[in-house]
Amino acid sequence: MLKLMKYEFRKTWYTKAIMLVVTAIAQALYMIGLYGERDGALLAGMIFLFFLAVGSILIMGLESVVTLHRDMNTKQSHMLFMTPNTSYGILGAKVLECGISILLAGAFYFALGVLDFTLLFAKMGELNTLWEYVQSFLADFTINGRPLVFDVQTMSLLTFSQLSGWILLIVTAYLAVVISSSLLNGKKLNGAVSFFIFLALEGAAAWLTRAVTSRIASTAVAMTTGGLIYLVIAGVMYYVSALLMDKYLSV
Amino acid sequence: MITCRQLTKKYGSKAAVDAVDLTLEPGHVYAMMGPNGSGKTTWMKMAAGLVRSTGGEILYNGKPIGVESRRHVAYMSTEPYFYNWMTARDVGKYYQDFFDDFSMEKYEKLLQRMDLDIAAKVRTLSSGMMAKLKIAVTMARDAKVYMLDEPFNGIDLLARDEIRTCILEEAAADKVMVLSSHLVEEMETIADWAVFLKNGRLVEMRDLEQMRSTDHVSMADRYREIYGHTEG
Amino acid sequence: MNYDPMKPIWLQVATRLKRQIATGTLAPGAKLPGGRELAAQYGINPNTAARIYQELEREGVCATSRGLGTFVTEDERAVQSLRREMAHDALEQFLEELSGLGMTVGDAIDLIKREESNNDHMQTTDEEVRQ
Repeated sequence: MLKLMKYEFRKTWYTKAIMLVVTAIAQALYMIGLYGERDGALLAGMIFLFFLAVGSILIMGLESVVTLHRDMNTKQSHMLFMTPNTSYGILGAKVLECGISILLAGAFYFALGVLDFTLLFAKMGELNTLWEYVQSFLADFTINGRPLVFDVQTMSLLTFSQLSGWILLIVTAYLAVVISSSLLNGKKLNGAVSFFIFLALEGAAAWLTRAVTSRIASTAVAMTTGGLIYLVIAGVMYYVSALLMDKYLSV
Repeated sequence: MITCRQLTKKYGSKAAVDAVDLTLEPGHVYAMMGPNGSGKTTWMKMAAGLVRSTGGEILYNGKPIGVESRRHVAYMSTEPYFYNWMTARDVGKYYQDFFDDFSMEKYEKLLQRMDLDIAAKVRTLSSGMMAKLKIAVTMARDAKVYMLDEPFNGIDLLARDEIRTCILEEAAADKVMVLSSHLVEEMETIADWAVFLKNGRLVEMRDLEQMRSTDHVSMADRYREIYGHTEG
Repeated sequence: MNYDPMKPIWLQVATRLKRQIATGTLAPGAKLPGGRELAAQYGINPNTAARIYQELEREGVCATSRGLGTFVTEDERAVQSLRREMAHDALEQFLEELSGLGMTVGDAIDLIKREESNNDHMQTTDEEVRQ
């Protein structure tokens, strides 16, 4: 599986490298803005970094799905499917490579964000008010109608459920692509159909999760349960995808 | 040994492979013959595990084609399929990573014999060079079944000689070789059996030397008899 | 080597090997290439190559010692009888061609005699020129 993951990474490293370079540029812009006292550059840096933080995960997920589609529908499919690997292994490697990349990217941008904000308030000389400022800013956010409490536990659970959500989103997209490539192969409007299947699956997963978690009183338990349900559904979708690949995929 | 019973692959209502019963035994080189669309490529892809049948079954040593059979079956398709960010060396490393029977040493030697630079980028290869690369990487495996789809296509004379030698050197009592080619003349001496497919069906399987001594016809003659348009 | 794909390949290669032995290109006792080597050398299927040696051995033209390989026979009489056999085949072919052109054996003999004297004449001319 590791070998498969190695090649999944190699298929996508270029995009990741570009994002890293752009991040470096945005960060440089931020630093220039901060220490060069240029508000324009500072603002621009902050905005770019924010978009990169959110966008990078989106881009990596998208690229992973597009790569899967390519790996099943173009001639390069021979590379994967001639090898003595099971569908479970092939798909699993993709899920893992993408998942780990997203985790690392999330951690990276989170750390970068913390660093940048610290620098910002250190420069402004008022570290104490940093936390009050952030808290008041974020007091407006709620989850499931309940106010967000910013302690370590809540933040980590929030991160957990967010990432689980992303992983579910990607695996749902995988399933949609596998369904269209293996069962609906050769038919026109392949892309549109996969997209609708994706929406339907995603809608069903979201509905199921909400149905279970809305009855839970505690925010912490709700987030944990939500995250876990995401992972379970993702697991089921992964399994079904691999099964479909095994039985119905012709490349 | 590859056996198939009533093997069928339908695309919609059209059958690319139509109820084929076939057994290919080790120790032979089979020339799979037929015009485009006769089912050769689809048959090979089913044996390689790339295409799922819609009817019948195909077995490798008695077991259905799957992960295990892919360990021992080497298939070379007509189209280029390598990741285009790879170099020839990367392609070798990929095969080494996934196929236990792949020999990097043999691969390097084959590339040398065919005048291919191991550092060459797949993206920059001409069609002739790509054809050579495909052959080199496939024959560098020590597989039990080799299926080469049009191995001589787009290849210059000298490289063709190299490939022929390579195929003959690899042929052994425990290996099945299946070659399909439009270059009937090349195949006359290399193969000892001919498998004729027409419109997805098996027409016949002949022992070539026997056919020559009893019928006094070449494989090319027999090909014309089977596929040629009858006059009158 | 060019092959006639309508005739058994093994026979064509066997005939060539026999000619090489008959003419001495392959000396008595010379080692012949192994089956696989023969196949690669002549661009033929290994099973076909194996058959060639089987037949040549059967005809007493070569012999295989296990582990050592296949060797041309050292039996001078066998080689001579091979020469006679090939000469006979060549003659048969020649006469067949001439009969196809409407010539009898008598015509054939005349043709041979004329050819012989032509050769002598050309040799004499060469010698005269040299002098």
